[in-house]
Amino acid sequence: MNERELDLQLIQRIQNGEQQAFSLLVRKYQTRVANILTRYVRSSGDIPDVTQEVFIKVYKSLPNFRGDSAFYTWLFRITVNTAKNYLTSQSRRPPASDIDADEADSYDGSGALKDGDNPEAILHSQDVKRVILGVISNLPNELKSAITLRELEGMSYEEIAQIEGCPIGTVRSRIFRAREAIDKQLKPLLEN
Amino acid sequence: MKEYSQELSALIDNELDDEVVINELLDDADLQEQFSRYQLIGDIMRDEGKGLDLRIDVTDSVMAAVANETQDKVSSTIPLTAVENNVVPFMKRFGQYAIAASVAAVVVVSSLMVNQTTDPDNNVTPVLSTVPFGGAAPVSLQTSPAQTKSDIKERNEHLEALLKDHQLQLQTQP
Repeated sequence: MNERELDLQLIQRIQNGEQQAFSLLVRKYQTRVANILTRYVRSSGDIPDVTQEVFIKVYKSLPNFRGDSAFYTWLFRITVNTAKNYLTSQSRRPPASDIDADEADSYDGSGALKDGDNPEAILHSQDVKRVILGVISNLPNELKSAITLRELEGMSYEEIAQIEGCPIGTVRSRIFRAREAIDKQLKPLLEN
Repeated sequence: MKEYSQELSALIDNELDDEVVINELLDDADLQEQFSRYQLIGDIMRDEGKGLDLRIDVTDSVMAAVANETQDKVSSTIPLTAVENNVVPFMKRFGQYAIAASVAAVVVVSSLMVNQTTDPDNNVTPVLSTVPFGGAAPVSLQTSPAQTKSDIKERNEHLEALLKDHQLQLQTQP
């Protein structure tokens, strides 16, 4: 099962009236959508509102989604269009250098300074990042290697198993144990 | 929740195709929160959360807006029922007018027929005769020769009474 198939499975459920399945797509993609929006939306305070608008548009358009392209590619287009409409409504021009859907995964739009950045939010984000990377650096090597190959290299369990020379079930267990260790530290930080 | 944690991890990595786990995930709020945190771990490792307020989660607000959207769609279908309900009184009233018109038509045709038989110039041949040669008149235009003036008057009065009664009924009904 690849990512596209999981997304399609969720979309199929939504199209069959299982509205709650949409919440999983929101949970899965909201950080990526917000990250794309930072390229267009200068005021960081507006990013949650525009992110919400993107997902509402996606939901409304889902009956027309035929699955010809990956869901994320389709979501990316809607995100960029919504951002451009937002700029128009703010009487601002879209950035001169646009980004393509192909670049969406690798795009780093965080370099620009944004209006209304909340120092507390920045501090909190830095804390979250520090905790996650701190836990990873202290993980046993086999767990660190498994989660890194999965999350940064995007490898499948089978590919990781070949590299690590272990069964797929072991890879699955290692990645889960790594996530569990990080989550133990991350959960209280997000709840606070 | 714990029993599905490892399956959840595999599901996020697209290494699990299990309807049961997805169903469990959709029913369990804690498992959904865990799903979000697992996603966030990957996002942070790929540096996709840089510059974002990571405390903000739009899931609830989006789902509330989506629920409103669905509700609006449902409520937009309600006037259709109301329109259907309005059709009945309209048809009822239309039917009453139709009956009134029919009665009026009967009265007009009857009086025409009566005038035709009592017309003193009845024997004058009209410019355009609809009566066939040989004297045979169409069945619909034949009147009984046995009718007296009192019979005709009585019938007209009866029809007039019927018409008045019907008009009275129309006025009293809403």
